[in-house]
Amino acid sequence: MRRAFRLPGTRHRIERELDEEVRFHVERRAKALEATGLSPEEAEAEAWRKFGDVQDLRQYCMSIDVAHLQRARWRERLDILGQDFRFALRQFRRAPGFAAVAAVTLALGIGATTAIFSVVNGVVLRPLPFDHSDQLVELWGLDAKGDQLHFADPTFDTLAASSHTLSAVAEYNEYGMSIVNHGEVSRVNASGVTKQFFNILRAKPAIGRFFDPDEQRPGAPMAVVISDGLWTRQFGKSPGVIGSTMRSGTEPITVVGVLRPGQELPADVDIWYARERYPENDSYTAHNWRVIGRLRPGTTVAQANHDVSTVLRRLHDAVGDATWTFDGSAVSLLDEIVGNFTILLGLAFAASGVLLLIACANVASLGVARMAAREEEMAVRLAIGAGRARLAQQLLVETSTLSALGCVGGLMIGAAGVRLLLLLRPELIPRVGELSLDWRVLVFAMAVSAATAIALGLAAASRTARGDLRATLSQSQRMQGGGGASYRLRGSLVVVQLAMTVVLLVAAGLLAKSFVREVTIDPGFRTRGMVVASMPFDTGVGANGMARRTRYYDDITERARAIPGVTGVGVSDAAPFAGGSSNGDFLILSNASVTVTPQEMETLFRDKAHTGWATYRLASPGYFKALGMPVLEGRVFDDGDRAGTPDVAVINASLAKKQWPNENPIGKVVNFGNIDGDMTPATIVGVVGDTREEDLALDPEPAIFFSYRQRPGSSTGDMYVILSTAAEAPTIRSARQTFRLVRTDVPMRFQTIEDIVGRSMGSQRFMLLLVGVFGAIALLLATLGVYSVISYVVAQRGRELSIRVALGASASEIVRLVLGQGITLSLVGAMVGVAAALGAVRALKHLLYQVSTTDPVAFGAVLVVLCAVGLMASYLPARRAARLPPMDVLRAG
Amino acid sequence: MPRDASDLLHGTLDVLVLKTLSWDTMHGYAIAEWIEQRGQGELVIVDAALYKALHRLEDAGAISSEWGLSENNRRARFYSLTPRGRALLRAEAATWKRYAVAVGRILETG
Repeated sequence: MRRAFRLPGTRHRIERELDEEVRFHVERRAKALEATGLSPEEAEAEAWRKFGDVQDLRQYCMSIDVAHLQRARWRERLDILGQDFRFALRQFRRAPGFAAVAAVTLALGIGATTAIFSVVNGVVLRPLPFDHSDQLVELWGLDAKGDQLHFADPTFDTLAASSHTLSAVAEYNEYGMSIVNHGEVSRVNASGVTKQFFNILRAKPAIGRFFDPDEQRPGAPMAVVISDGLWTRQFGKSPGVIGSTMRSGTEPITVVGVLRPGQELPADVDIWYARERYPENDSYTAHNWRVIGRLRPGTTVAQANHDVSTVLRRLHDAVGDATWTFDGSAVSLLDEIVGNFTILLGLAFAASGVLLLIACANVASLGVARMAAREEEMAVRLAIGAGRARLAQQLLVETSTLSALGCVGGLMIGAAGVRLLLLLRPELIPRVGELSLDWRVLVFAMAVSAATAIALGLAAASRTARGDLRATLSQSQRMQGGGGASYRLRGSLVVVQLAMTVVLLVAAGLLAKSFVREVTIDPGFRTRGMVVASMPFDTGVGANGMARRTRYYDDITERARAIPGVTGVGVSDAAPFAGGSSNGDFLILSNASVTVTPQEMETLFRDKAHTGWATYRLASPGYFKALGMPVLEGRVFDDGDRAGTPDVAVINASLAKKQWPNENPIGKVVNFGNIDGDMTPATIVGVVGDTREEDLALDPEPAIFFSYRQRPGSSTGDMYVILSTAAEAPTIRSARQTFRLVRTDVPMRFQTIEDIVGRSMGSQRFMLLLVGVFGAIALLLATLGVYSVISYVVAQRGRELSIRVALGASASEIVRLVLGQGITLSLVGAMVGVAAALGAVRALKHLLYQVSTTDPVAFGAVLVVLCAVGLMASYLPARRAARLPPMDVLRAG
Repeated sequence: MPRDASDLLHGTLDVLVLKTLSWDTMHGYAIAEWIEQRGQGELVIVDAALYKALHRLEDAGAISSEWGLSENNRRARFYSLTPRGRALLRAEAATWKRYAVAVGRILETG
């Protein structure tokens, strides 16, 4: 045993001891001098004189001793820590099962929290990679209903001129563009940006520059800034890219700069050009532009929001119905980009936190069992004089060691989890490229582990501190492993675990039910065996343009039909979940000979009786059959509907029901020229079934379809060729080859509708998977918890159970007795869990589709699962109890 | 004539203290007495310097101290040699002897 030496407590004490030492010396010396015949006074004076400079000595010794003492104290502390650490390791070696289970459990909890935190960190906490990015805002117009609207040029100009909270504003947009580089066609996203755009971001080019004033005037040749991604993909990061030219259609485009990686806005754009090359559109209702701004130093987003709102409301007062923008708002750019994902992330983070708590409860409960077994050891050590603080420190070192192991494991799980997240749903997570395990994640994981260690250590220590020495010592002979208090503690820890497991499982159950609901919704079109080829929209302007486009799509359709296995081919300007279609008001005319000018239209729209609202779509004759949309009335397009014949339209059931509830819509005449610029009226010839193409959870929108052979369309997005087929993969291969034969300069992308629909469910799937995995882990841990607490009960009551057996209780009676305890535990846990879940899952409300947060099926299923698991976990120990040879136990007792 | 420790060559007092303590555990006064006796009155030490050396050596880990009772039942601080001190003494003593021989040789050639 180590010598317990006591260190002098304070500086003061060092001083006192030194004085004492000196005094002793001087007194002895004086005594010796007295013996030579000096008087006591003379002797003392001589002794002091001989001693020398006491003041100097004191200074010298103090400086040495204080430092020495401090060093010694540290050394001792480290020594004790080292001892405790070695002791902890010895304990773990003695019970490797406990150590392993506890460490793995903690690793799971810490790993889950760390993984989610690294996403929180990368997406929400880390500022956008721009200088003073907190000053960046996205601005929105608001319509009469308060929904967000993009800006029209005059609206933007008004804002730019009148805002006093924003130092600068800029317009930008985003659309698909085909570029040809060294004869190779590719499809990229392009963005037109106004003068201040890069200034506002304070972005810096990696090489080259941004636009010259000369490039920012109407009709200027096209100069572009490209993304780091495009630079890498197409130019191999060669600095020679500056000044090189590509083509877009027939127009040459010159690269003047490369943006730094991470600074792309919008995120998936590869090419930026000066928006001033094109003239402004004077219409207040051409909502084509997104707008960013930079706050003046010292202004807040709230002030900007108020400012924008005031400016746009004043504008509406001034120009009246010419604008549909009633109001405006400002949102911080980070919120705009991260947006809804924050809510999802918050939920995921909460779920991981619950899992961590369960893991802690599990380890604590295991720890209580170990402490119970070690109660005697602790009592003995207290009895022979170990301080309680000392024991507490030792326990803390034990739990810290466990947590450290858990932390290392957790970081590994976290890193793997992040990689998995990236694999699963990259496009769901904004700023996904910026995800990594950085120092903040590391600090977070360590802080979580430290908190865990302290919580567990204090829990264990408080039991030791409360423990009654004599009671423990005297009872330990009879009963291995603590008394009733320990059972109550473990029981309540298991109840907490079960309750939190219920919360996670109920959440998973609700999400699963909602998911199933949503994927089994009939979208109104066929989703299996469907291939979609997307290609840039051919505007087909002018008679020649229309003719060329018609020839092109007819040709493609013809070739697609010839592919073996293909049963239907349709062409449209929108594909399910691809977006891109326009919507707006249309006029209902009395007959097809009425002509209306665009100017008259605005006034006629005030007559609500003759105005409807719908989505504008282009479609080919084969489109409806290919998608499996039923023809409810009349007919769809046929080859007779072409340029030169009267324009026809097909509407969907929603529009028929909304606009002509008690009439036959066939023969009605509509004018939708405000969307496509063609003021020719069209006659409705048929009604088709509804489709849900934007969001499965939303009601179908009213739609009007026109023939691409008759109308120019409005899309700035893509055109889609849709093929129904027996086998998707071979069809994609054949189509890729044969479509190229028609035109080689058109880039194409092939997807299946099942993939597209699947992707549209990304956030639901992500949450379901996450909560499901967390729930499964929680259930496993809770099972372990129940199992260990019941095993412990069996061990504790072994003597009592043996007496019962000896007195004639049957094995099944013993099993029932033990099972009863397990079921009671599960039921209490379930009750508490249900109460907690009722409150907690309300947070999921907006993620659920047609499933109430109190869904009885989900709750019921979870309760059944929980009780079944409780039964199973207590059955093994119960059977063990029933098989105990009674005499052995009695003798051992 | 008494001499200050700083007059002695650096480390001389230290080595004397170590040597003294190699015999027994002692308090400061006893050490001073012991050195004076063995030095046959030639080596009279300034007491303050002795205590400086003691604290310095303790800080270096060559000696350790403990409070105890003196022969006449007074509280006193007793110093004893640590294993490290013993090793230090061996090394220092050897150096010192070589040094003394060298100095003596030079003086004798006069």
